[in-house]
Amino acid sequence: MSNFYQRVRRAINLSASDDQRVGDGDEGGRDAVRTDGGVVSEDSRNPGSEPGVLDRLAAGIDGRLGSDFLESSIFWIPPFLLMGLFVYGAVIWNFLISLTDYQRFANAPDYSNLDFEMYTRALADSGFIDAAVNTFILLVAFTAGTLAVGLILAILIDRGIRFENSFRTIYLLPMSLSFVVTAQFWLWIYNFNNGIANRVIGVFGLGPISWLGDQNIVLWAVIFALMWQFSGYAMVVYLAGLRAIPDEHYEAAKVDGASTLKMYWRVIIPQLKGATISAAVVLMVFGMKAFDFLYSLVGGYRPPNGADILATKMVREAYANLNWAYGAAIAIVLFAMALGVIGPYLVYEFRRNNL
Amino acid sequence: MATLELDSITKTFQDGDDEIVAVDDISMSIDDGEFLVVVGPSGCGKSTTLRMIAGLETITSGTISLGDRVINDVPSQERDIAMVFQSYALYPHMTVRQNMSFGLEESTDLPDDEISRMVSETADLLDIPSLLDRKPSDLSGGQQQRVALGRAIVRDPEVFLMDEPLSNLDAKLRAQMRTELQRLQDDLGVTTVYVTHDQTEAMTMGDRIAILDGGELQQIATPLECYHEPANQFVASFLGEPSMNFFDVTLEGDRLVGDAFEYPVGAEIRDDVGDVTDLVLGIRPESVELVEAAGGDHDFEMTVDVVEPMGDENTLYLQFDPDADSEGAATLVATTDGLTPVSSGEAVVARIPEEAIHLFDRNTGEALHNRSMEEAAQQIDLS
Repeated sequence: MSNFYQRVRRAINLSASDDQRVGDGDEGGRDAVRTDGGVVSEDSRNPGSEPGVLDRLAAGIDGRLGSDFLESSIFWIPPFLLMGLFVYGAVIWNFLISLTDYQRFANAPDYSNLDFEMYTRALADSGFIDAAVNTFILLVAFTAGTLAVGLILAILIDRGIRFENSFRTIYLLPMSLSFVVTAQFWLWIYNFNNGIANRVIGVFGLGPISWLGDQNIVLWAVIFALMWQFSGYAMVVYLAGLRAIPDEHYEAAKVDGASTLKMYWRVIIPQLKGATISAAVVLMVFGMKAFDFLYSLVGGYRPPNGADILATKMVREAYANLNWAYGAAIAIVLFAMALGVIGPYLVYEFRRNNL
Repeated sequence: MATLELDSITKTFQDGDDEIVAVDDISMSIDDGEFLVVVGPSGCGKSTTLRMIAGLETITSGTISLGDRVINDVPSQERDIAMVFQSYALYPHMTVRQNMSFGLEESTDLPDDEISRMVSETADLLDIPSLLDRKPSDLSGGQQQRVALGRAIVRDPEVFLMDEPLSNLDAKLRAQMRTELQRLQDDLGVTTVYVTHDQTEAMTMGDRIAILDGGELQQIATPLECYHEPANQFVASFLGEPSMNFFDVTLEGDRLVGDAFEYPVGAEIRDDVGDVTDLVLGIRPESVELVEAAGGDHDFEMTVDVVEPMGDENTLYLQFDPDADSEGAATLVATTDGLTPVSSGEAVVARIPEEAIHLFDRNTGEALHNRSMEEAAQQIDLS
């Protein structure tokens, strides 16, 4: 323990002085005479003493994980533990529960008999399959649609139009609204008898359509509402990307003979790859959280027929039907889907040295 | 290939209620195959002029024609011009090959194999075939420069427009590319408009140079004409490094009287000047001679204030009055042979030869008397 104490003291000394050793990562430099006043490190003060076990262990850790690994631990250990316990610990606990048969009013899950029964039950449950398919459709269609609308808005706004800032604010505003509020908006808009959606298509002699009642349409109605809310966000991300492209690229493409459409398609949009990827990841994560929207739309755990997604199914199974273990299993599937979205993104960013 | 004709081109920008004139009534004609360098200080309108030719800026008034076709309202896409940008503007997501074929794909109906043949021919010409499959971000500045040139050359346009294409290169590479660009333009024989702020590029590269200041064309002539027979004081000061010495003088009888000196002039020069009395005397530093002893009215005893040795030559800052503080006093800059030993504080005799002086109207800046080109050429022969 005294060794550890000395290491900490040395670390503090190190950061307090402008010692040249800071950051060079060379453990062999420990015996160096200090430049700031001739203080010599411990090994030279006790000639002949073998380095202790702790010391060697620390040196080993430092060598493998980078210098200052131990010294810096007091800074990163507390958040590391908090995150580990409350996020990843909870995930693991949830996974354990999903392996039990915990349901109804049992006092506690029984961990003595773990199996994958809940997962096989899910695969046999047509409600689960429907919810999974709906979740997938929602993720893909919502993300693709929002990106497309956001891109078009961003390009239009980037053409140097008047009142650019006002437009930007107007399009971004829906995102600042809570799902609860926007769900109420769209409930009114989609109202069968006097909602504005049916009024508008009525002008063209169409409808009325039961937007939220028809199970072939309701999912797309929800996707459209979510697109309305988030295309402003995609626009802002794309706008930042467009601003980073120098004017000369537009001009060079024009002089090269490209029409405006070709210029965007071949020169500008390919350069927005980074913006597309980061916006897509955020949008997919929002798409998975569409639970709030559906919950607010109907004021309960049972979304309109045809719009059930994994998130609503999970909560309904757990809290309405008290199938705790089954709900936990659905949660793990949802978690795996989220990892499937974020994992490749993290790898991509890591490869580009952005992490 | 065609003649590019600019006729009274004017460009104004609206800034609130103010109207800013960027280009003011410029007319010039660039012959087929000619290399015209447009030069001037920043903000003089040279880039705006180039961008109007490219179709990237609208023209407020005047006409631009290419051959017999007025191209004022022709969009850039259909002008058959190629432009090299200062930043190169290579498309970062495309390989060099794709960058170079992009223009051909967009502006012509040529089949793919024909395009790829033209791209590799151009790459050979520029000595960059090994770079064809790399991305612009993997290239050095000089290589990017070549690719940008290649992208313009492969199009085989009627006019090349170049906007300070060498200014992002280091000095050595710039000198090398300068020569190479000239050779390429000679070989290709494409009408070229080249914008730069660098007077070395202007002097060495162009068949003619057009000097702009404040949106107005000051002079358009061959480099040597502009150097030896500047149309006005701006042109005289803009070309040459170190730049020409100027002294405010008034003509009194047969003498030019300045603050620090008097300078007698002959009848021929007085005829050129006419009845203007407020003048500016100009003398190029390399025309000032150091002599052993004062032997005439054009010799002045001076003190060396500062010596800047450049190796091949020394730049001397001479003062008429040794006691004056060096800030405000009239200083004559002279360049002398780098091997002549001169040191600060030394007294020397400087001769300002009468045949080398320029006289400008102090109010209009217009040149009233220039040294003649023949005399200048003779002097070069003698030395």
